[in-house]
Amino acid sequence: MILVLASEAVLFVLAVAGILAERPLPLAATGGVLAALALLLRFSPKLRGALVGAFTAHRTGALAGAAVFAVLLPFALRASPYWTFVATLALLYVTIGQGLNFQIGTAGLINLAGAAFAGLGGYTVGLLTVTGGWPAWLALPLGPVVAVAVGASLFVPILKTRGHYLALVTIAFVFIFNILMNNFEFTGGPQGIKNIPTLQVFGYAFTTRLTLFGVALPAHANFYFAALVVAGLTTAVIRRLHDSWLGLALNTLRDDEIAAKCSGVSITRAKLTAFSVGNFFIGLGGAFYALMVGFISPPDFDFGYSLIMLSVIIIGGVDSIPGVVLGACLLLPLPERFRFLHEYRLLLYGVVILVMLLYRPQGLWPAAVRRYR
Amino acid sequence: MTLLETRGLTVRFGGLVALDGVDLEVAEGETVGVIGPNGSGKTTLFNTLTGLYAPAAGAIAFRGRDLVGIEPHLIARLGIARTFQASRLCLGLSVFDNVLIGMHARRRTGLLDAVVRRPRLRAEIHEAIARASHFLGLFNADLVARGWERVGQLPQIDRRRVEICRALASVPQLLLLDEPSAGMNPEETAELMKDLQIVREEMPGLSIVIIEHDMFVIEGVSRRVAAFNYGRKIAEGPFAAVAAHEEVREAYLGKEGVRA
Amino acid sequence: MPPIELLLQQAWNGLMLGAMYALIAVGFTLFFGVLDVIHFSHGDIFMLGAFAGLSVLAGLAAVGLAQPLVLLALAFVAAIVITGAVGVAAERACVKPLARSSPLMTLLATLSLGLVIREAVLIFYPRGADPKPFPRLLPSGGFEMGGVLIRYDNLIILAIGFAAMVAVDRIIKGTRMGAAIRAVAQDPEAAQMMGVNLGRTVDATFFLGSGLAAVAGILTGLYYSEVHFIMGITGGVIGFSAAAIGGLGNVYGAILGGLLFGVLQTTAAALIPRGSEFRDVVAFAVVMLFLVVRPSGILGEKSVERV
Repeated sequence: MILVLASEAVLFVLAVAGILAERPLPLAATGGVLAALALLLRFSPKLRGALVGAFTAHRTGALAGAAVFAVLLPFALRASPYWTFVATLALLYVTIGQGLNFQIGTAGLINLAGAAFAGLGGYTVGLLTVTGGWPAWLALPLGPVVAVAVGASLFVPILKTRGHYLALVTIAFVFIFNILMNNFEFTGGPQGIKNIPTLQVFGYAFTTRLTLFGVALPAHANFYFAALVVAGLTTAVIRRLHDSWLGLALNTLRDDEIAAKCSGVSITRAKLTAFSVGNFFIGLGGAFYALMVGFISPPDFDFGYSLIMLSVIIIGGVDSIPGVVLGACLLLPLPERFRFLHEYRLLLYGVVILVMLLYRPQGLWPAAVRRYR
Repeated sequence: MTLLETRGLTVRFGGLVALDGVDLEVAEGETVGVIGPNGSGKTTLFNTLTGLYAPAAGAIAFRGRDLVGIEPHLIARLGIARTFQASRLCLGLSVFDNVLIGMHARRRTGLLDAVVRRPRLRAEIHEAIARASHFLGLFNADLVARGWERVGQLPQIDRRRVEICRALASVPQLLLLDEPSAGMNPEETAELMKDLQIVREEMPGLSIVIIEHDMFVIEGVSRRVAAFNYGRKIAEGPFAAVAAHEEVREAYLGKEGVRA
Repeated sequence: MPPIELLLQQAWNGLMLGAMYALIAVGFTLFFGVLDVIHFSHGDIFMLGAFAGLSVLAGLAAVGLAQPLVLLALAFVAAIVITGAVGVAAERACVKPLARSSPLMTLLATLSLGLVIREAVLIFYPRGADPKPFPRLLPSGGFEMGGVLIRYDNLIILAIGFAAMVAVDRIIKGTRMGAAIRAVAQDPEAAQMMGVNLGRTVDATFFLGSGLAAVAGILTGLYYSEVHFIMGITGGVIGFSAAAIGGLGNVYGAILGGLLFGVLQTTAAALIPRGSEFRDVVAFAVVMLFLVVRPSGILGEKSVERV
């Protein structure tokens, strides 16, 4: 157990140091330590074995430890509202990623319109609050509901068609969505929707600066903690659905639809369920984003973002629930950290995906055998 | 008691007649062998029975119910299970997973249980794994020990067994086996025959229809044999009678071969 | 209801657009036939062809060459060669290694490859984010026929497009490589047993498809007088849809699908209010509708899964 907590602590410290270090020397030192650790793990099977053993034996403890460190993160980042924001964004991508992974990884449904479903969530929230005058907390759950409804109505006929057609249809949809949002008056056109009110729960506005345990945190920390709860719940729900009859049926129909059919699986129902569950969480991420940032516009939800969501899944590991968490935590902060790479961000994402697919298609944290815990 | 009956079953693919007016009956508890050269319609028959192909004409009655037009997953739930010529297992999933999917239709817990009332799901899965272990253990105790390994790591003969267990797991009344001995050497084929014997003993009321090219297997397991050629049933009866049937010999050996 | 002349005009425009779509669609359908892959980056190859043509033209103009005919000819040849080579390199590096694994992997790989090509052009081409003007090399003016204005430049574009299609037909039906491509599309193993070199045939197919896309790219540049680094996305989606409409694996279906798509898109844009803004929406909506109604295409898709 000590090994588990110690390694998590080391990772935490290194991550924070890597994020906050401004001057070259501390930055290089952090990088050096990370590289050294990576090499150590690579070439010492004993160490790897010990770590894997420790983490498997103390699974709940490891999760609890990770949760504690996740809660501690805003405290470590309290000097930087920007990085608190980035961390929150990573958590939103965890939520979205789990939904998308359920569709693509678990069920084999190639949904390239992730950005559109996130956009449906975001625009629903924006329209309900700004145009409709709804309070934010009421509009928030409706975002995912709209995403699910639109997804279901559009794709009920399409779900019966083969994989590459679904991909094509979803690409078409994300473009249609983008163009429509850009050209309709009521969605604000290219300007989008501004002044989305922030989340207010029982009179507490999420834009107030938070003070916990005597430590002053940036306002974004409110959203961070909320996003942490959402991401945590999403991951738990998805994992439970994955390790159930539904997940088994989806994996089977992904690998061999005919075998699934002849084993009694209703393909349409299973696919529709997976699609809807996925869209719910994708829409939830988008809705949350709208509340957090306060304004949305069509470029926030274009095809490029679908590809970013995709890369999160591929890097972590297709159909791998911990992989999504890893993918989001790696992919979101890194380009922010290395600002000079920002222009090359999408190019790098593309190259990384290609390299992963060619040399490690199972991802950095491959999906494990289902154990139904 | 007749379990399955087809009358005038005809299947066409464009201009090709894959099944031509096939009448076949299978009684409860009996094992019927199906033989015939490649392309004679044997697998097409299975695919039509399980609802993957729609017949152009004819009827299929299973326990009195008309099967034509019913979707494959519903036919499976009615009690027809099958294996495939090129085995269709999910190689990346565990052995248990591959058997459990056969029990999918009989589950009683739902999504709510999976997410909120987890202990109920775990209990049902636990029970399902116990049943899967029972079936697997009938053939090879090793399979149970390796239950959580990915099926892709098993040897071919064990994979066949897993596929049979998947079919048995749905507690079918009719089991369709499509060339289970395909790709096996004589030793493995002998093992397979023992496996089929085990299936017989485990589920005495089960009706089995088995497509085979290996006459040794057919002779050993089936009471009755139906021979196909060009989509038509050309002979039916005990193995010896069918094997000696002139048209059957012609189908396999050609007109010259019969005279020889 | 707009006057009949306007509709005919739009149909004529649609035919030209359709010819360009058809050339892209043929690539998609060839790749599907030969490797059973949906090559999602083919649209961006088309864009690359346009930019390759643009660069060559800019280079030649800088050297002082001004003869439109010579410029065009050189641009086409150079673009075909460059784009063809890139297409083959991409196939060797990214597509073929994954063709044996699940279709999901190939799809993701080709999507990412497209992204890489797109971003590379954006980043490395000077001021790549802006639309780039394409030189007007075709004669202006036109003539009227039955109330429809037929411009010389459009006529030439259509002629080149058709010439390319005829060339494809000749290559597929009349050369040994064409026969090899058809053989591999039908049954790769049997083809190999007949002595067909699978690797070289696949390379040739990708060169051919990518070269066609380059022709389409330059034609598009001539037609709109500009190119933009994102033109590959729309071009790719439409090209793929056209190929799907015609039946994946069927070259003539792809041509038919492309022409159909072009005509449909322009006439629909004429009939719907604010149609030109929503032109792409119409295109994509038609795609979606078609895939619902008849997913295996007009002329039928190549393969059927064996049970």
